[in-house]
Amino acid sequence: MRYSRRYLPSSTLFQSQQWQYKTSAASLRWNSSFTGDQFAQLASRSSSKHQIYQSLSTDPYINLSIEHFLLQHAPADSNILFLYINRPCVVIGRNQNPWLETNLRLLHNDRATRPSPNNESETAPLYVRRRSGGGAVFHDEGNLNYSVISPRATFTRNKHAEMLVRALHRIGATTISVNDRHDIVMRLENSGERLLDLQPRKISGSAFKLTRERALHHGTCLLDSPNIDRLGSFLRSPAREYMISKGVDSVRSPVTNVSSALKNAPVSFEIQDAIAGVMDEFAGLYGTCSDAVRRAQRAHIMDESELYAGEDWVVGTVGAEQGYGEAEIVKGLEEMKSLEWKYCQTPRFIFSTYPVEGEDPRERPPLPASLPPSTRVFLRLKHGAIVESHISTSSDAAVASEQASRVQETLRDRKLHEIQPDQWVHILSTHLGAEEEPATIQGLSDFVTEKLGWV
Amino acid sequence: MSAFASSFRPVASRFLAQKLPVSAVRRVTPVSFPRGSVRSFSHSPFWQLKKYTESHEWIELADNGKTAKIGITAYAAHSLGDVVYVELPSEGLEVSANEPVGAVESVKSASDVLSPVSGTVVRGNSILDDKAKFINESPEDEAWIAEIEVSDAAELDALLDEAAYKAHVEAEDH
Repeated sequence: MRYSRRYLPSSTLFQSQQWQYKTSAASLRWNSSFTGDQFAQLASRSSSKHQIYQSLSTDPYINLSIEHFLLQHAPADSNILFLYINRPCVVIGRNQNPWLETNLRLLHNDRATRPSPNNESETAPLYVRRRSGGGAVFHDEGNLNYSVISPRATFTRNKHAEMLVRALHRIGATTISVNDRHDIVMRLENSGERLLDLQPRKISGSAFKLTRERALHHGTCLLDSPNIDRLGSFLRSPAREYMISKGVDSVRSPVTNVSSALKNAPVSFEIQDAIAGVMDEFAGLYGTCSDAVRRAQRAHIMDESELYAGEDWVVGTVGAEQGYGEAEIVKGLEEMKSLEWKYCQTPRFIFSTYPVEGEDPRERPPLPASLPPSTRVFLRLKHGAIVESHISTSSDAAVASEQASRVQETLRDRKLHEIQPDQWVHILSTHLGAEEEPATIQGLSDFVTEKLGWV
Repeated sequence: MSAFASSFRPVASRFLAQKLPVSAVRRVTPVSFPRGSVRSFSHSPFWQLKKYTESHEWIELADNGKTAKIGITAYAAHSLGDVVYVELPSEGLEVSANEPVGAVESVKSASDVLSPVSGTVVRGNSILDDKAKFINESPEDEAWIAEIEVSDAAELDALLDEAAYKAHVEAEDH
């Protein structure tokens, strides 16, 4: 089967068709076509009861900010579908801990104050914290994100997951269903005798944000992720044996691509087919007029953001850089990109190399051989800042206590994400240097910085 | 704004809209009518001024007439399901009416808790730091979310009383 991952426009093949479409659209329906910079105005227009958008941007910050704008500013009685595909990124829930839920070492490092010597970090998946609840997920170019914003009064948690299931059934993935966690799973058929495959695998995860009058339901859908076999590595923290956190834990599930069920399908499909199917199902659910749906389904052919509007609907493509300069979108964008939101929104947590009674009594793995066995590292964090610490190496209790109080004086109230690896070395050698060899200090610093997600 | 709006409502109907414990009605009615400001009730331990919002928060003014506790209603706690995390506001945060004064997460859903009136946060309920699920057990009592110093107690007048809130919930449920 041919399975194309082409979902973005701009193939030269389409140039001539595109031009023809544009001219005919211009001559016939000139008055209903708008450029992307009118997005904010059209979306918040009080008569825009049906809205369907597909994003041309693969920037998760832009897409989540457009989505947030729609949640906040679209009319209270409107129903909105927004579809987008992000560049590789790990997206954690609002009340999660990035040090615990992701492998920051494999993700783009936004904490470093100096650029890293290798360029790998530049192309690595981004780390993003969203505004909705739930657990950590991985996105890439084979993952379709769907988002439905509707009145809170008529909202149920499975409504839109079921909408997606119907759309996936249309493209031939018939063994897909919603489970009791509001996730969408797929049963693999004819999978031979491997017991593992009898367990349904997750293809889509959901999260929700509720406001006074509105409900946002967004979810992922792994259609054909090229990273399917390694996405778990981005979600496995090097500190998971040392850290315990308040807030929300992710639930790990085996995943698969929808495309894996369609290997023998007679007709191939592209992501755009799935998108068109979701739009049809959304329109069926909310009674969107067919003219609007047809235009929504065709809009992606254009390179540029283009919107169409009827009396009670707006559809089209969105996603220009910087949220069109619309103040409300830009504000949300800045907030979401800020390290304050990404790191300091983290619920309280502790990191400890030894069992902590009452809080985290788990046995810990042995320390690296380069460190004295008496080494102890304990950090307590609130809003991403260190409120308490104990770092010592001495086996003499009195000396250890002195070491710990010297280090604590420097660390107290420091934001964890701001402490760079060379600052760890500096802090530890300043306060433990009297008792320890430089090699031991370096070893301790390497250990701490590795667990905290510095490469 | 709310004080402004309430001044247009006849005093009597505003008062009749209040649902009071029988003993409180008997005691308070003669001396408190016509009503001046909420503070005139501040010495009566029987007067527990508790109001509600359409977005399912409650606010209860303390006897001192200056501070109030804010939480989510039993109806909200029930419909949200198991609460797994509560975001508490920090001390000193200034909020306007209808602005978030906290948030709760349940079953993958983040919901803002809106402050019914304007004020300054005195403290969040730290019990909820360790036991978010407490919200499901005692939503309208021990599991309050924030205590605020109210900017203008008259703002409470514009909120729903118990009977009006009940009617609102029934209408939402159809």
